[in-house]
Amino acid sequence: MLVHCAPIREERVDDRALRMALHRARKTEAFAIQQDFDKAATALVQAIPIPQEITDWIPTDTFIAPTRRDWKKYAQNPAFLATGIAVLVIAVVAIFQLVERMNRFPGEPTARRLLTTASSTHAIMLDPVKTDAGALGDFFFMKHRLVHYDVPPEFAELKTLGCRVFDDEEGQRVGQVWVVEKKMQFFLFPAERDPKTGKAREFSGWRSIEQERWAGVVKEQSGVCFMAAVHGSAKDLAPYISKPKG
Amino acid sequence: MAEEKQDLLQLYRFCFLMLADAAKAEEVFHATLRQAAQQAANGEPPRDRLWFFRNARWRCLEAGERSLQAEDVKLAQDELAAWAPSQIKKLEPQQLAVWISGAPDPQRTALALFYLDEFNYRDLLSVTELKPLELSKLLCDGRRQFQAWLDATFPSTQT
Repeated sequence: MLVHCAPIREERVDDRALRMALHRARKTEAFAIQQDFDKAATALVQAIPIPQEITDWIPTDTFIAPTRRDWKKYAQNPAFLATGIAVLVIAVVAIFQLVERMNRFPGEPTARRLLTTASSTHAIMLDPVKTDAGALGDFFFMKHRLVHYDVPPEFAELKTLGCRVFDDEEGQRVGQVWVVEKKMQFFLFPAERDPKTGKAREFSGWRSIEQERWAGVVKEQSGVCFMAAVHGSAKDLAPYISKPKG
Repeated sequence: MAEEKQDLLQLYRFCFLMLADAAKAEEVFHATLRQAAQQAANGEPPRDRLWFFRNARWRCLEAGERSLQAEDVKLAQDELAAWAPSQIKKLEPQQLAVWISGAPDPQRTALALFYLDEFNYRDLLSVTELKPLELSKLLCDGRRQFQAWLDATFPSTQT
């Protein structure tokens, strides 16, 4: 049916469906007759005389508003397309960096190093200690003179299997605890300090890190950082830190 | 600008085909241009050339309603003939305009716009406010009816 609307001039065919219909119809005699009929009728229309009054009346300036290119046409322009893609990539990278920066916290490099330690630690490397994790603060203080190495209330009730104190590669004293639940490991280490003032760089709340299928949540308190690490994702630790305990 | 001048000349031809009356066609042409000029002066010029044809179409239909009305009869239809071009060559533009202006709308608008050979398929649908199949049927019927009229006017013995 579309061929009945086929424009007389080929250049007016700018519709895909119509072009396809014409492609099929061109081989038929009926279409050739229709085209000849239309051409003859068009020639007759073009022969309609234009009165002088009409020619005189045609204004010299245009009445039609300048064409506004819609956004689709702009989008199809290769220059705009390339610029758009570049801006998009820059925006994505900027957002990625911003999110990464927002998640950064003082002591993060140490926490990441300790996640690596967690992944290579075996239970036998620790001294067997079976108690509540919350009770180890006194143990660290009494035995190793480590002040404020306290397990936060969120993890204090978990049962321990063992613990140890070791010096990390920067010579910092690190407390490591192995707990029964989910084979979780706790690390207590000195918070990052300002090299000028020597004061601990504080941050509030829990921060999470993930590295090579290990996840950790870190909190700073009284100049000491606590990290709970687990083999899995941050989701595994989320239930413990979602409800703060007194 | 040359393109716009051509469009306006075609606008007059469109009015002429719709009304088959040079004076009335001129009147509608002037009225349409006056409105375009007024809108342009008010800072709201017509968005595109189709505006002129839409505007003129309604003016032509309005003017047509005030004049003699064609009877609502079912016209005979003939298959398009290979000799139709030679039949059409014998016509005067006025005769074609009389035939088109006698058609009921929207067939009248569809035929007048189509034979101006000025628009693509989408433009035709836009101005006539028809669906593709409706436009197709109106044009197809129009051709066959015109062929029947040609056959009646110029019997094959004369072609």
